[in-house]
Amino acid sequence: MGFTPLRDVLAVAANEFRQFRRSRTAMLISLVVLPLFFTSSLGGASGSATSRFSPTAKVAIAFIDEDMTWTSTLLREVLARSGDFDNLLDGFRVDTALASLGTGRIYAAIVVPKGFQDSLIRNQTGRLIIYMDDSEPFISQRLTSALTNSLTNLRTYLGTPQTQNMQPGQIQIIRKGRVFGGFSIGLTIILSLVVVFATFYEVAGGMSREYEEGTYARLSVTPLSLGALMLGKTIHILFLNVIRTFTVLGLAVYVYGAQPRAEILTLLTISLLISLLTIGFGFIVSSFGLTVRAVIIIEFFLILFLFAFSGFIIDKEMLQGMSRIISIMLPWAYGIEMFKRTVLAGQPLLSMPIHLSIIASSTILFYLISYFLLKVSRERLVT
Amino acid sequence: MSRLLQDSSTVALKEVRELTRDPVSLALTIMFPILLVTIFVAIVSSFSATSYDIPVVIADLDGSASSSRLLDGLTASPDIKVTQIFYDDGQAIRAVESGEAVGAIIIPKGFEETLLSGREAYIIVQTDNSKTLTPLLVYSAAITKTRELTSDYGNQLQGGAASLEVISRPISGRPLSGDPILPGMLGMITILGAFDDAVNAITRERERGTFPRLILTPVNVFSIYAGKMFATLLLNGARTTLMIIIFALTGLVIRGNILMVYLTTSLMAMFTLAVGLTLSSRIRSSSTLTILEIALTFPLFQLAGSFSSPEFLAPGGKAISKMLPWTYGNIALRKIIYLGLGLEAVSSHLLILSISTIILLPIATVLSKRTM
Repeated sequence: MGFTPLRDVLAVAANEFRQFRRSRTAMLISLVVLPLFFTSSLGGASGSATSRFSPTAKVAIAFIDEDMTWTSTLLREVLARSGDFDNLLDGFRVDTALASLGTGRIYAAIVVPKGFQDSLIRNQTGRLIIYMDDSEPFISQRLTSALTNSLTNLRTYLGTPQTQNMQPGQIQIIRKGRVFGGFSIGLTIILSLVVVFATFYEVAGGMSREYEEGTYARLSVTPLSLGALMLGKTIHILFLNVIRTFTVLGLAVYVYGAQPRAEILTLLTISLLISLLTIGFGFIVSSFGLTVRAVIIIEFFLILFLFAFSGFIIDKEMLQGMSRIISIMLPWAYGIEMFKRTVLAGQPLLSMPIHLSIIASSTILFYLISYFLLKVSRERLVT
Repeated sequence: MSRLLQDSSTVALKEVRELTRDPVSLALTIMFPILLVTIFVAIVSSFSATSYDIPVVIADLDGSASSSRLLDGLTASPDIKVTQIFYDDGQAIRAVESGEAVGAIIIPKGFEETLLSGREAYIIVQTDNSKTLTPLLVYSAAITKTRELTSDYGNQLQGGAASLEVISRPISGRPLSGDPILPGMLGMITILGAFDDAVNAITRERERGTFPRLILTPVNVFSIYAGKMFATLLLNGARTTLMIIIFALTGLVIRGNILMVYLTTSLMAMFTLAVGLTLSSRIRSSSTLTILEIALTFPLFQLAGSFSSPEFLAPGGKAISKMLPWTYGNIALRKIIYLGLGLEAVSSHLLILSISTIILLPIATVLSKRTM
């Protein structure tokens, strides 16, 4: 008798697996398309985790040396060797370069103006001008950043007889901190996105389909309790998320050479915590008796919010006003942060008690609210 | 011919009428652009903010007048917020490693002595590089404040990177902080909207069983498909107009011919419709198709050049990007909107979109008709 609730939970879970197995498209999208497509597109955009990838390296850039001095020649050499400017093109004049910008032939032109070396020798500021095709998004930020980094290296070479009078009394800035590739940083987001995306659809979409097909009404007249129904579905989805997490990690490690600094068990735990949080939220949404289409729209906005406010495009610390508040209130953002800190920084999971407690308390809250709402709306949902 | 046009218009009108009857689909068409743009404008505005509160800790191991001046400068920096001052570098580094601070600035012992003797002093900037942009802001604040310090000492020298200044000159003449993603956003909304139109046009019809009834009417199949495409173009026109109004409200000036914007989005919509029709011939359920649409959306943000230039992608991604006709649509939109270029400059991009549509549309129509 005491085992009945457990038996019910397992019966619901088994039923979920059976239904899932019958839908080939759902299986394909949930277990193959999502993890593979998201991870591969990240690899395509950021390169693999093993090789250094500079976004500006292959961009065609004209190098126009109007100064024609030892320093300007050295500058070109430093840029070409930096790994950030592998496609520097010579032979342009300023007017021809300007005419070529916007045509796709070149995307920027670095001009070393006449008197560049003289300014440096006289301890004045040497100025470089970059003309850029700013119809390409973020070209200014990327090029200026790469150029500033390369100019740091130029200082090393400038300690020569010609220019050494520039150096005394300076403050050098030594940058420290482990550097991560775009793929490694992106992987932490992709893991979360894949889990949230698939989980939410499986919970809320699955429940909506049950309402639409009338199976929820039939389930509600069986001796199954609401708790058993929710737990059964939870077990089914958690199992699918284990497969998805292994798929993404396997692809990242064996194809793109990612080297997470955390144990697989840690990553799996975070992934399952995010799954539980999303399942709880999915149950809340499903208690409103929405159609599958409405669920999909909500899913789109949930993913969009995660994409925008959890540090993928812009770090949370830089967000302002309402964006900052949303970022603080999104419990998923803490899960993504935990992924970052474990995968990249190798921090132990238990050293993040605040993140863990926010996720745990949000999950419990979501489950309690959804249980209450599903209980209260029972009659509405079955009719 | 007039019969064909009349039938196509009737079908197009029917599509639009059905949309107004379905509040969820209507919300998709009208609310998507507004919400998408609102979210991303809020995000992008963070890029051009005048100050940030990035948590940074400082370890002053020198305890001299010079290090205090540097510390005061860093505390007053608009980009960073000094949360703690330590007298031990280990504590500062641990603060970064535990995630309490994004950066630690360590002023070593002997800093003032080295600086005043005319030799090269140094400071250490340790950053949490799991963040994308904030480490650069911490570094930049350190450069600015060390420059100010050396300048105060009358050395007239630059600290940090090199005694060089980089002057950026965008060819469009826009401010550097201008919104770099709005044209890409228009492209994305065009794709999402047209894909949803395809879902509405075919799978919903299939699920309700209304398509066989439509086939039995005197309207020929070509008119049915032409009508659905015409409806997509009408809706796309409405979405583009909405986006142009939002552009105007956010202060973005469209430098090119506005009709070229409509032409480009129309071609993108037609191509997307063709892709949607092809996919719908294999995937029967409208909800599965919509979920696939959303799943494709996020990688497309990257790969179709909506938010970043395809030129900045890794070789594999760049190759995929070049194969996606949407990429050419996004590039054309940016060239028209930002650079004010005309048909001759974007003709090759529009041609790729047109040819791709011409190839895919008949295949999609045949496949779609076969599965009805």
